[in-house]
Amino acid sequence: MRRMDENVSVSINRTGEPVGFLWRNSTYRVRTKPIRWFARRDWWLEAARVQRGVGASVLEVEVWRMVASKAEEPGQKTQFEILNTATSTDGAKAIWRLVKVYD
Amino acid sequence: MNGFTHLHVASAFSGHYGVTRPETMAEAVAASGSNALAITDRDGLYGSVKHIGACLKLGVSPIVGVDLAILNEDGSFLARSAILSHGHDHGVGWAKLCEIVSVAHASRAKSGQLRKENQIGIKRSQLAKIIGEAGGCTVLIGPDSDVGRAVLAGPKQLAASLLAAWREAFKSPGAIGVEIVSHLTEPGTAYSTEQAQRMLSLADALSIPTVLTNSVRYLEPDDALTADVLDSARHLEPLGLFTPQPNAQAWLKPALAMQALAIEICGEASRALQLLETTERLADRCRLDPVSDCAWGKPKTPEKSALGIDGNPFEVLWQKAHAGIDYYYRSANAALLSQVHHRLGQELITINKLGFSTYFLTVADVAQMIRDMKIRSQARGSGAGSLTNYLLGISGVDPIEHDLLFERFLSTERSTLPDIDIDVESARRHDIYRAIFKRYGSNRVTLLSMQSTYRGRGAMRDSGMALGLEDDQIDDIAKNMWRFSARSFRGALGTKPELSALATAVEEDRRMNLLVDITERLDRLPRHISMHPCGVILGDSTLLQRTSVEPSGLGLPMSQFDKDDMDPMGLLKLDVLGVRMQSAMAYAVREISRVRGEKLDLDNIPRDDPETFKTIRTTNTLGIFQIESPGQRELTGKHQPTEFNDLTIQISLFRPGPMKGNMIAPYLDGRHGFAKADFIHEDLVPILKETWGVVIFHEHVLRILNVMTGCTLAKADEMRRSLENPRVAQTVKQFFHEKTRERGYSEAVIARVWEILEGFGSFGFCKAHGAAFALPTYQSAWLKTHFPTEFLAGLFTHDPGMYPKRLLMAEARRLGVKVLPLDVNKSSDEYLVEPEGIRLALTEVQGVSENEVARIIEEQPFKDIADFYLRVKPTRRTLERLALLGAFDSFGGKRRSDEAGDDPEITRGDIIARVRQLNAIKTRPASEANQPTLDFQVLERLPTGNVEPTLTEKVSAELSLMKLDVSEHVIELYRPMLEEMGVVNANELVGLRNKSDVLIAGVRVATQTPPMRSGKRVVFISLDDGTGCSDSTFFDEAQARCSHILFNNRLLLISGKTRRTGVRGVSIMAENAWDLREMWEQWTKARPQFRERAAG
Repeated sequence: MRRMDENVSVSINRTGEPVGFLWRNSTYRVRTKPIRWFARRDWWLEAARVQRGVGASVLEVEVWRMVASKAEEPGQKTQFEILNTATSTDGAKAIWRLVKVYD
Repeated sequence: MNGFTHLHVASAFSGHYGVTRPETMAEAVAASGSNALAITDRDGLYGSVKHIGACLKLGVSPIVGVDLAILNEDGSFLARSAILSHGHDHGVGWAKLCEIVSVAHASRAKSGQLRKENQIGIKRSQLAKIIGEAGGCTVLIGPDSDVGRAVLAGPKQLAASLLAAWREAFKSPGAIGVEIVSHLTEPGTAYSTEQAQRMLSLADALSIPTVLTNSVRYLEPDDALTADVLDSARHLEPLGLFTPQPNAQAWLKPALAMQALAIEICGEASRALQLLETTERLADRCRLDPVSDCAWGKPKTPEKSALGIDGNPFEVLWQKAHAGIDYYYRSANAALLSQVHHRLGQELITINKLGFSTYFLTVADVAQMIRDMKIRSQARGSGAGSLTNYLLGISGVDPIEHDLLFERFLSTERSTLPDIDIDVESARRHDIYRAIFKRYGSNRVTLLSMQSTYRGRGAMRDSGMALGLEDDQIDDIAKNMWRFSARSFRGALGTKPELSALATAVEEDRRMNLLVDITERLDRLPRHISMHPCGVILGDSTLLQRTSVEPSGLGLPMSQFDKDDMDPMGLLKLDVLGVRMQSAMAYAVREISRVRGEKLDLDNIPRDDPETFKTIRTTNTLGIFQIESPGQRELTGKHQPTEFNDLTIQISLFRPGPMKGNMIAPYLDGRHGFAKADFIHEDLVPILKETWGVVIFHEHVLRILNVMTGCTLAKADEMRRSLENPRVAQTVKQFFHEKTRERGYSEAVIARVWEILEGFGSFGFCKAHGAAFALPTYQSAWLKTHFPTEFLAGLFTHDPGMYPKRLLMAEARRLGVKVLPLDVNKSSDEYLVEPEGIRLALTEVQGVSENEVARIIEEQPFKDIADFYLRVKPTRRTLERLALLGAFDSFGGKRRSDEAGDDPEITRGDIIARVRQLNAIKTRPASEANQPTLDFQVLERLPTGNVEPTLTEKVSAELSLMKLDVSEHVIELYRPMLEEMGVVNANELVGLRNKSDVLIAGVRVATQTPPMRSGKRVVFISLDDGTGCSDSTFFDEAQARCSHILFNNRLLLISGKTRRTGVRGVSIMAENAWDLREMWEQWTKARPQFRERAAG
């Protein structure tokens, strides 16, 4: 498993699930149903403010675990984890970051 | 499908775990259209009554359970489970739930001691036994269980066999279910969808019903941040040093989200639907009927047999009360007697109508028991307005003499159980509790609990700890947090001068910024449960089926319900409040009897003693109950009380209400003849005569309504209560205007009286309460006047007041009462009165253990230091401290002639040297008392040639080892500087002209920031300089000048102008303040000869 932190651009379906992404100039397609989970952040180390109503995005972040492969090499499947660093409610403005690759 | 019932919900009453108050969650659920909600607080039913009450109000079905640790046979952890009570089963489920919780806590109490290390929990076998074959509760096996862990790790077969073991243990149908929870955590970890899926298929394979919950900790995702901080407080570790919650998913998700979750877990719609249906089926089974299940609102008092009475309780009450007339009114004339009989008859009729006879008999029984134990007691509150209470010996104030009204206390217009509070000697309070348990049986009695909540400093401290701030840093901030709600912490930063340093830090330091935010979040949340300081619940023999109990620090069982839960649950609470002043007075009476052989009955002293009122009028009221605070002293100076009723009025005036309502000035003006009293109408003269036309008491309002509208006093009290509520006040207004017009009052009179009544609102005070307080005020003033030595000994021993003991010592010096130094042959664990004065108690010496004190008292007297050393076996530290404080000085004196040499006097220095020799011996004295240690038994040889410590050194030792300055006042150390600066003594202030410029110095004895009419903050600081107390007032401008030392320093120098406030009243309008020690340092720089003086 490799940890990294790189921007990726992700395309999603109507329910908000990623179906593919563009990474290092390659297009990847998601090959099985991706699993969504929520990881936590150590806000006491990062956040500037945590006032009432600031929202849970200070504390948690949406993660998608998915098996994908390059469009041109469908057999070369790899597991990826991609963070959605925006709040889950404004999917349109989502900023995606690739954080783990299970080689 | 519509709606989803949450069955696993921790409220904020799950200490340091849940975030949201039960009422808030019930409201959210009602608003979302769901019709049932469970509360399952951790380890108890703490929030359940509030939950039920809120649900009833909102039309939501309440469900109650507990979140509890279930243990293996060996006491190790097995699972944390929600256990839910079934409903509509005539309380079977509720009673079992109470028992389960009580049993889970009982394991912590071993031989009467609370053992924190034992975890709260119930063995599975015990739990199964309670639920039995009849059922009544359902246990949910969830992610945090042996099964939940096994589906994630362990071999496949293990999880199945573990779940089978649960099924094996619980025989009754529906006693267990598998709880399916997904907090959408990382796949493969606890609370992940994957775990939920495996639990689901396992349960299906074993045909055990499954229910979906969200194991809720908070209302909204945002609250998860608060939950993080609570976790830190629970773990007592900063964030980052323990495993935190995995994410922010444990919120009260709406039905749609829960349905989506069900589909996500089940993978298909039909299984999901089934899961949701079984959840609702269990919810239906658990919907409580509060009345039939929890005996909601049904009053429960001890059975007649428990009170030892036969026959009709009302008849017994009638007889007892009438028997009291012969005692309390033995010298009354015929007119008074007929008044007494008439009033008692009316009171008893009301009591009978309300069905409260047993209640009064119960309280009377407890009061009698307290008297039989020879413990001082005194009823407080509106109960003092009842003649019945007076005749039953519950209250010591005659309501007829003091013109107090029964209707303020109890009337047929109200049906809630009345509150009777009894003040007793604080030192004997626990004896009384134990006696109550013994008398009524532990199945009918429990202590009351109290949920303390986070307030300013506490919220900031736990927040600071969570963020990993240093203790010193937290202390510094806490010192400057004064009189503002932590909820508006950020707002306070900009307005409070003493927070300006913090405000700068917040701008520069991210952590400080976070500190402010999370402090605001914690504010007002329940913090922990503890024993209520005075509440005892008295019920019938079903009490323990109505409330869960846990061991208290006292060893006696304590209900998990608090005082607000009493009325809804129909439980009778008796407040037995420990009052230190009662202990101090009882002690004084005992010393008077021991030393002088005089038997004194404090409750029968004349209440019009002129000498006593003379003492009060000097304003030297230190140590006197209720009127010793700086504000009360100032008011005493202006008021100059001359009779008992004056004390009642003064105590009632000095309350936030009357102060805000501006009642003090018109009253004083009328009293001193500065203004003519305005009674508005001649009908009001008899009512308001005592207060010069000012409406102060609730009783005044009742009588005005009664006289002017002709309504009953009971009705009048209802209207008085309505006045506090603007919506209902309108109907009162209509009634008042209608009736008064009918009765021929002029429009002008009606309008003016109504204006007063309307503005009265919550400002007034109950006179019965004031009168009940005035009694110990008078009694303590009487003791201070006639037996100052014994009274001060009582104050020293029981420490009742608001001031540090060293200030009372200064008061003793002022009164010419000598405080005698420690003496190992004479000092005890109390302050004993001796012919020359009061002997310091051994308990004042810091670091001396209770056992050592007990041994000293047991082994007294001693013939020399070695004798003491051998028999008491003190620690080295204790021995040295006693020597430094002069406790062995009585072994000094003249040396015997054969030893005298050129050094005939034994000094304390010699004694200290001897003690250090003893401490240098490597082995401590062995435990056998009669060991042959010739070393010691040869004649004590004291070293010679050591100088006596100076007075300064003695005071310095006293301050550091006892926090008391006995030999002389600490301020004397600074005397040369103060004299040079022309600092005025506190006792000279009264002789100065108004608006004189003065400098005053002293030790801070009180800092107060009372609520003011203007809403602006005013800081009062009282300093003691050994001659008396001075009171300085700091307004905004002065506060800004010296904000950094306003709340911090102990020794202060204050400049300002005198302000005459009354015949004997002078206070100082402060302009600036300085740290006395800092000044001293500067001053001595130029005068090195004084350097050493104030080093201590």
